[in-house]
Amino acid sequence: MELDWGVVVRSWDLLMQGTWVTLVLFFLSLLLGTALGLILALMRMSQFRAVRWLSLGYIWVFRGIPVLVILFFSFFVVGRRLGLTPVQAGILGLGFSAAAYKAEIIRAGILSVDPGQAEASEALAMSKRHYMRRVIIPQSIRVIIPTYMSNSILVLKVTSVAVAIGIVELTGITRQLSNSTTRPIELFTAAAGIYVFLTTVLVVLQEVLERRFALKT
Amino acid sequence: MDWEVVFESVPLIWKGAGATVSMFAWALVIGTAGALALALMRLSASKALQWFAIGFGWLFRGIPLLILLFFAFFALPEIGILFSPFLAAIVGFSLWTAAYQAEVIRSGIIAVPPGQSEASEALGMTKWHYMRRIVLPQGLRIMVPPYTGNAITLLKQTSLATLVTVPEMTLLTQRIFSNNFKFIEPIFVLAMIYLAMTSVLLILSVAVEHAVSLKV
Repeated sequence: MELDWGVVVRSWDLLMQGTWVTLVLFFLSLLLGTALGLILALMRMSQFRAVRWLSLGYIWVFRGIPVLVILFFSFFVVGRRLGLTPVQAGILGLGFSAAAYKAEIIRAGILSVDPGQAEASEALAMSKRHYMRRVIIPQSIRVIIPTYMSNSILVLKVTSVAVAIGIVELTGITRQLSNSTTRPIELFTAAAGIYVFLTTVLVVLQEVLERRFALKT
Repeated sequence: MDWEVVFESVPLIWKGAGATVSMFAWALVIGTAGALALALMRLSASKALQWFAIGFGWLFRGIPLLILLFFAFFALPEIGILFSPFLAAIVGFSLWTAAYQAEVIRSGIIAVPPGQSEASEALGMTKWHYMRRIVLPQGLRIMVPPYTGNAITLLKQTSLATLVTVPEMTLLTQRIFSNNFKFIEPIFVLAMIYLAMTSVLLILSVAVEHAVSLKV
């Protein structure tokens, strides 16, 4: 059969609209996931056993069930009860899912900081909250960046699952266009190209950040 | 939550477990074979093979798995390759597994100190021979944790097959709640089954890690 790449050009505006929704889902769920992940990471290191177990339980459950099932829950159960739009429910589900992974990444980064740093801070009479914020977390960033960024690339790709709860992001618009134009090869290739472009941008960003935060010796 | 609906849903959803597990098993076997080939290509002396493996990894790790599934399901029939939904899903999952596990196998191999292969060469072993008998067995120990991590991700990803109409657990769950409009119960059952399956894999991976760890 003949390939007609013109269909990609004609659909470009719609593809870009879908890409925009994908980026909104990505940034907002990343923000929610990182904030919640930081809280979960700190909870895992709390002195109270109950708080540690709560965080551990959250991580076990949210890493143990598929994102699609989490999205079903946030859309059909939580979203219907609170009257959320599909995009809001999507951000909620993707964010809560991302938090479980971000928590482990942030925790590993914090643990990688030499315990002497905390001891020295204590000797200088800094409070735990103070030295966490001013001494430990800034030093852990260097270790966190590579794993945080590669996980974020996964978060970007996972936004495609939002098509299952009716969000018309890049994958959703592509599926619609491919049904209406009967040109799946061209359109899915274009969507794949856009995703590869976006993930490549994130890989480059990772390099830049790693270099910026590297120790200057 | 209505527990009666919960108990009614369990057998209906469980009917899809066979499809979920067999997609997982097929993709893991085919994908791992592909991953081993890609890892060896990446470490081979041939520039062409190296670039092929790099390109494969870049492409299939850069594209969302769902796009791979849609491509196999919607696009390949256009060029005369007609898969059943089940086969299309296995194709997509296997490509994904190959791309991710290739990185795991490669980093396991390069983590083995080069002195091991130098010594093997000095003993007159061929590359094929010492890869199989010396390097891979030692690399295995390093590969186990990330390999099983990817396998658990794969198991969860098989839920995406619902979007290409494979009658696995997630699709059967959707069928229940679109009939009776009771959402929380079937979704809860589905989540618990997945959680049980991934927890079994997690325990298994700890056991394997323990079995292959160095005894000192």
